[in-house]
Amino acid sequence: MDHLAEKYLHPRKIPSTACSGCGLGQVHKKVLLAIEESGLGLDDVVWGTGIGCAGRQTFHTWRGDNFAGTHGRVYALATGLRVALPPEKKIVLTVGDGDAFGIGLLHLLHCARRNLGITVVVADNFGYQSTGGQFGYTTPPGMVTDSSPYGNREPGWFSEGSDIFAILKDAGATFLARHSSFDGEEAVKSLVLALANPGFSLVHIIYPCVTHFGAVSLKTRDREEIYRWFAGIFAEGEHPGPHFQSGIYHDARGKRPEFASALREWTKEFGREAGRA
Amino acid sequence: MKTLFNTGNAAITEGAIWAGCQVFAGYPITPGTEIAENMSRRLPEVGGYYIQAEDETASLHICAGASLGGLKSMTATSGPGFVLYADPYGWAIGCEIPVVVVNAQRVGPVSGITGAPGQGEFYFSRYPTHGGNFETIVLAPNSSQEAFNMTLEAFRLAERFRTPVTILADQLVADGWESFQLPETPEELASLGLGVVPRLVHPGPDFYPPSDAIDIPPVVLGRGTGAAASDWTPTEEGYDTEEIEPQMWHAHRLVHKILQHRELIDRHEAYFLEDSPPLVLVSYGSPSRVVRSAVRQARAEGLAVGAIRLQSLWPFQDALFHPKTIHLVVELNTDGQLVREVARAAKGETHFWGRCGELPGVSELLVVIRDILSGQAPRSMPGQWEAW
Amino acid sequence: MPRREILISGFGGQGVVLAGRILGYAAVLAGQKATMLVSHGTETRGGYVRSQVVVASQDIDSPLVEKPDFFAALSQAAYQRFIPLVTAGLTLYDPALVTPGEPITSRHQPVPARELAEAKTGSVLAANMVFLGVILAGLPTISREAGKQAVREIVRRQVEKNILALEAGYALAESRVVSG
Repeated sequence: MDHLAEKYLHPRKIPSTACSGCGLGQVHKKVLLAIEESGLGLDDVVWGTGIGCAGRQTFHTWRGDNFAGTHGRVYALATGLRVALPPEKKIVLTVGDGDAFGIGLLHLLHCARRNLGITVVVADNFGYQSTGGQFGYTTPPGMVTDSSPYGNREPGWFSEGSDIFAILKDAGATFLARHSSFDGEEAVKSLVLALANPGFSLVHIIYPCVTHFGAVSLKTRDREEIYRWFAGIFAEGEHPGPHFQSGIYHDARGKRPEFASALREWTKEFGREAGRA
Repeated sequence: MKTLFNTGNAAITEGAIWAGCQVFAGYPITPGTEIAENMSRRLPEVGGYYIQAEDETASLHICAGASLGGLKSMTATSGPGFVLYADPYGWAIGCEIPVVVVNAQRVGPVSGITGAPGQGEFYFSRYPTHGGNFETIVLAPNSSQEAFNMTLEAFRLAERFRTPVTILADQLVADGWESFQLPETPEELASLGLGVVPRLVHPGPDFYPPSDAIDIPPVVLGRGTGAAASDWTPTEEGYDTEEIEPQMWHAHRLVHKILQHRELIDRHEAYFLEDSPPLVLVSYGSPSRVVRSAVRQARAEGLAVGAIRLQSLWPFQDALFHPKTIHLVVELNTDGQLVREVARAAKGETHFWGRCGELPGVSELLVVIRDILSGQAPRSMPGQWEAW
Repeated sequence: MPRREILISGFGGQGVVLAGRILGYAAVLAGQKATMLVSHGTETRGGYVRSQVVVASQDIDSPLVEKPDFFAALSQAAYQRFIPLVTAGLTLYDPALVTPGEPITSRHQPVPARELAEAKTGSVLAANMVFLGVILAGLPTISREAGKQAVREIVRRQVEKNILALEAGYALAESRVVSG
């Protein structure tokens, strides 16, 4: 992280205040690597954050322009911001699973419908960990958390063979990829493609929470064991938890017009026509 | 100058266009829909953008986001949508981002009647979000002309104070038709005492200084200043913090930037107060039109009565009310909201006449005025302050 | 012009609001002030609609029509609902739609608006313009030219037919000497 931190981050935010052993730093680093690989500088990216571990720990780390949104509404803030900013300014949002797939899902879906030019990085730790470990919409069914002491009774967005990505794809998202925080180059590559997409990109990165999910749901404080479990959910073969496929889920970059650019172009054309009339 | 015959909603639209509003995000709701429709027609004509949001929470967030990107913005709604603004309204207060919010109040509670006026959000407009530690700016027009003027004023105050400004109208002001003057040149605009404050850009990267100063440009992102906008308690450098001292300075700034410059906000009209009459009627918005007729008529009958009409509601103008005056507060609700503030500020005899869903008649108000002046308990009043 | 209060009411689709808009705008063109409050139910058509119009040369305080100088009743329901407000003013009603209740205690003037509109324009749709012509004739500070100009600027379709109906209203008023 050192050269990336020096290049892009506020020195006061290093090291981060995340729990020791948290996988969020790996997610953060991949986003910075992708920004670097894309040849983007501090002035090229406006960075927004949601609420929860993913939002709070990444807020104001970016030394360029940045903002913190309200819980689940950073997508609506970004909609207004996107309309105001020229297309070459990238908008990156780092958010959690509760923010994106719970409280903010309505707004997220409408961003996908509009094919809004933003890159949403959902750093997923399987529930509400910053508030002490309550189940969310990606927490596997049956898991014990502080708000499901007898096991999670609710179906999640990945239960029974479903996938929230199918909904996002149907809503109109033009780039969707999923990774584990243990993925290396492959995850960075997906993020580079996401950043290059003029429209709506979402990269879902699952990372381990050792403090709450590990201790309560996996019933261990052994980091190696927790990491093995998280690595296992992306691996082939038998695994006690859910199963995910790593890689690009949907790539329709450039297939739909980006909302704000199209609106700007139409408005310019309207003005020209009105001028002629 | 062009004279139009149109609604308060149309006047608000034209005021916003004059003020340089470039983004309107809204969600259809009676009686605010007409502003959204008008903006969808007018904004493209001036190179601006109309966005139909997925709900009112998104409406104000989109407007705040556009403002964060440097574009002046406005949204409009009615009570059921105003409650959904609570989240972004607080964000804009805390991040100190200018935005204009219109609430055409209809009768409630909850959905109530879509096409009938109410004044149920007097207090809600003071506390439109959670957490306290802030002051709000709320203006209340009572005519189409004033709706136009106040929209420009709202944009001006929003920019200078770096905060949301609410125009608290009601269904009759919003939907009511009236003749009003629409300036066609900047000179004509200036002749109405109105002006436009341009959007300036905060130099960043630090956050606003811990002072009550106004006219500090708001944070604008995308200009390479390294500025941050945060709903967390910010340090002076813009970092989020859990320390109490920066929180106290933040709260101090949010409260005192408004209170220390309230002379720029405070507005009222007074009628027939020259001879210090014993009874003064107090109102805002559409009821104030009927009050003015009633007081004129009472004066013609020789009754010593005057009126105060509030044009700005918050911060509340305590100094207008005196303990030796009897105040009669007329509102479009039956629970009595403005009357509580008047009673608190005046610390004297205070009466309440309220009705929900329609204006009181001039003749009805005259009966109450005569009763109070003759020392009788007021008759035919749906609610009585004293009784509570 | 001293304050004049005009109440127009009927059911949805009769052009009650349009008539009020033209009346208010005609007053503006004549250098007067005007207000109009519109009330109706949620449904655009079928429910009752009421336009309360006030015109005056001075700023208008209350926009309420509490003592109408003119009451144009375009439906039986509107007539029954608002006739108690009329004391000194004149009630205009279309005998094809309204049967005045007995006893009649205020001045009434039948205006066969639908019949006249059909005769002049081939359609009853412009009946509201006939009423408007009668009302405008009773407001002499608003010139006939201002009335016609307001129709031209506000009515989008069948402008000339609407003007014909308006003129039929003026003519009726002149033949019967209507005044507020």
